[in-house]
Amino acid sequence: MIRKLNIFLMLTSAVAFVAVYGLKYSVEEIAKSKTMLERQIEHQKGQLSLLEADWSYLNQPGYIQPIVERHADALNLAPITQAQFGSLEDLPMRPVAPDTAAMTQLFKSLESGVDPADKPIGGK
Amino acid sequence: MAVMTGSEAPPISLTGARKYRGDLTRTRIRWVIVGLVLIFAVVGGRLVQLGMVVTDTSIEGQSREAITASRPAILDRNGLEMAVDIRVPSLFAEPRRIIDVDDAVEKLRTVLPDLDPKWLRNKLSGDKGFVWIKRELTPEIEDRIYQLGIPGLDFLTESKRFYPGGPEASHVLGSVNVDNQGIGGIEEHIDKDGLALLQSVGIANGQNLKPVHLTIDMRVQHVMREKLLDALTRYKAKAAAAVMIDVKTGEVIGLVSLPDFDPNNPSSMIAPYDGEPRMRFNRITAGKYELGSTFKTITIAGALDSGAVKMTDRFDARFGVRFGRFTITDFHGQNRILSVPEVYKYSSNVGAIHIMQQWGKDNFRAFMTKVGFDDPLPIELPEKTTSYIPKKFADVTAATASFGHGISITPLHMAAAMAAFVNNGVYEPPTLYARSPEEVVALGKRFISPQTSLEIRELMRLNALEGSGTVMDRQAQGYRVGGKTGTAEKVVNGRYSASKDFNVFASAFPMDDPKYAMVVIIDEPHREGPTTGDTAGWNAGKTTGMIVAGVAPMLGIAPNFDKALDDEMVPAAIR
Repeated sequence: MIRKLNIFLMLTSAVAFVAVYGLKYSVEEIAKSKTMLERQIEHQKGQLSLLEADWSYLNQPGYIQPIVERHADALNLAPITQAQFGSLEDLPMRPVAPDTAAMTQLFKSLESGVDPADKPIGGK
Repeated sequence: MAVMTGSEAPPISLTGARKYRGDLTRTRIRWVIVGLVLIFAVVGGRLVQLGMVVTDTSIEGQSREAITASRPAILDRNGLEMAVDIRVPSLFAEPRRIIDVDDAVEKLRTVLPDLDPKWLRNKLSGDKGFVWIKRELTPEIEDRIYQLGIPGLDFLTESKRFYPGGPEASHVLGSVNVDNQGIGGIEEHIDKDGLALLQSVGIANGQNLKPVHLTIDMRVQHVMREKLLDALTRYKAKAAAAVMIDVKTGEVIGLVSLPDFDPNNPSSMIAPYDGEPRMRFNRITAGKYELGSTFKTITIAGALDSGAVKMTDRFDARFGVRFGRFTITDFHGQNRILSVPEVYKYSSNVGAIHIMQQWGKDNFRAFMTKVGFDDPLPIELPEKTTSYIPKKFADVTAATASFGHGISITPLHMAAAMAAFVNNGVYEPPTLYARSPEEVVALGKRFISPQTSLEIRELMRLNALEGSGTVMDRQAQGYRVGGKTGTAEKVVNGRYSASKDFNVFASAFPMDDPKYAMVVIIDEPHREGPTTGDTAGWNAGKTTGMIVAGVAPMLGIAPNFDKALDDEMVPAAIR
């Protein structure tokens, strides 16, 4: 009886030994990958903060204005003046009936290759 | 066996061999137990001792948390970053864990060739627990050093403050020192508000810090700074500053004071400007000045509100007012009898004195207390100064104070009062933090009646159309700006100097429904050209107009050239 119990206990401890051994190494493995992941996260957070800083730097009005001024001639840019503002009242009301004559004229002009939309309003 | 004898001898007791051995074993076991207990006691004691050891994790006297602690991002009212934290890796070594110093030095120098090998060897040898090798590296360098796989080298992520706007909002933001503590501006305020405590207990890291939303609009801030820089060069002035307030909420939209500094380089805060030290302070909150004739707005507002003076009252400005040896006269002398709007329009000192006298000097002094000129400003910035106003007014001081001389207040005081006057008379304390409608209602304080507010708006717009604000109005056509100039002579060696002026323009726009109030100051301006003047209208006024023309479209204010609007704002009766 005692003998059987002893054999059983010995077997259990042998199994336990192997299991603990395996567990120890797998924990070490997990710990290692955890540190790696943590490092990676830290790293990416660092890079993210740099990118965010870059982004906000590039969005500063103080950064954009010199660029706009440098390319103002090429892009035909100028600060907006008060006279360039319009209001809703300046827009003509919708005509009661479609203006057929004007439509025909528009289509004709489009067919001949002239798009009135290319010309600025007011024709200047 | 013992031989039996006849005599009765005491019995001989003999210990049997088995018993003897048994006793011996018991003693041995006892000794073994004692030995074992001793060994376990030593082991246990050592364990306790090891448990008691506090490992020194501080780094050159600073806790690890303090170094890695971060600060909340600071955003403007549109969510644009004004200050952010960048996380930068810093390389350190634990010399006691380094096995081969020469090998480590050699490998490290392949990535960081600018390190001195002798210095590096000294650092890495020895038994220290922590030495910095190089701080604030880039993630790329960090990666390459990591790939070298040298034991005993590691990285610590430090937080570094970065201000993407550079000097744009320097006086609002302040700066931080190397230990990540706020020095000046809103950064210092955030620390006092509890961040310093969070940092010291080590829970201030990126995740649990909410960004701080300011009321500054970086676009407005930029335009204001541009125009003021332009003014500095055009008028060859010593300094210039401006502040813009939302009159309905008291929120500060823009605050610029030139010369300024770069928060990314805190030492530039105290750098001399033009050879002079102490020039880069915040003139809006920490400078007090005699704001000259802009003060007539205060005098007239108070007098009208008291009922002692009416818009239609007329005042004799034909002669100067005498106080003993002094006679106060007008700069733009009209030398006739003037109505209240004319006193304002022609900026008559004599008229202002008469208005104040009709109202009463004690009432005048009490009104200054009412509009908050006695108290320091409630704004969040730590750089603040209190006003200089005598507790009791003598006749002369009251007279000079009525046109803004002999008393000093900060430009922000003036801006806040202007904002209240045009906002139907309701004052909102200036702030840099967003305010909810409930707070606006709770904090609102009535300075003057809505009727007086309307009259002041009429006067301010009138001055822009016909008075000293015409240069300004030409710049900001259509935006219905109203305002008052102030040209004060500076005190040099205890006397007023005729050549050195301090110019102010206090304004609000659009006058038909005021939304923003602004004060612009220019210190010691010069004439721009031979055809221009050097009074405030020509410099502070013009700059105001240019700023308004630049920012009004961003603030959603459309120009309106309708003449009927001006006729309604400034009725013919007061023209």
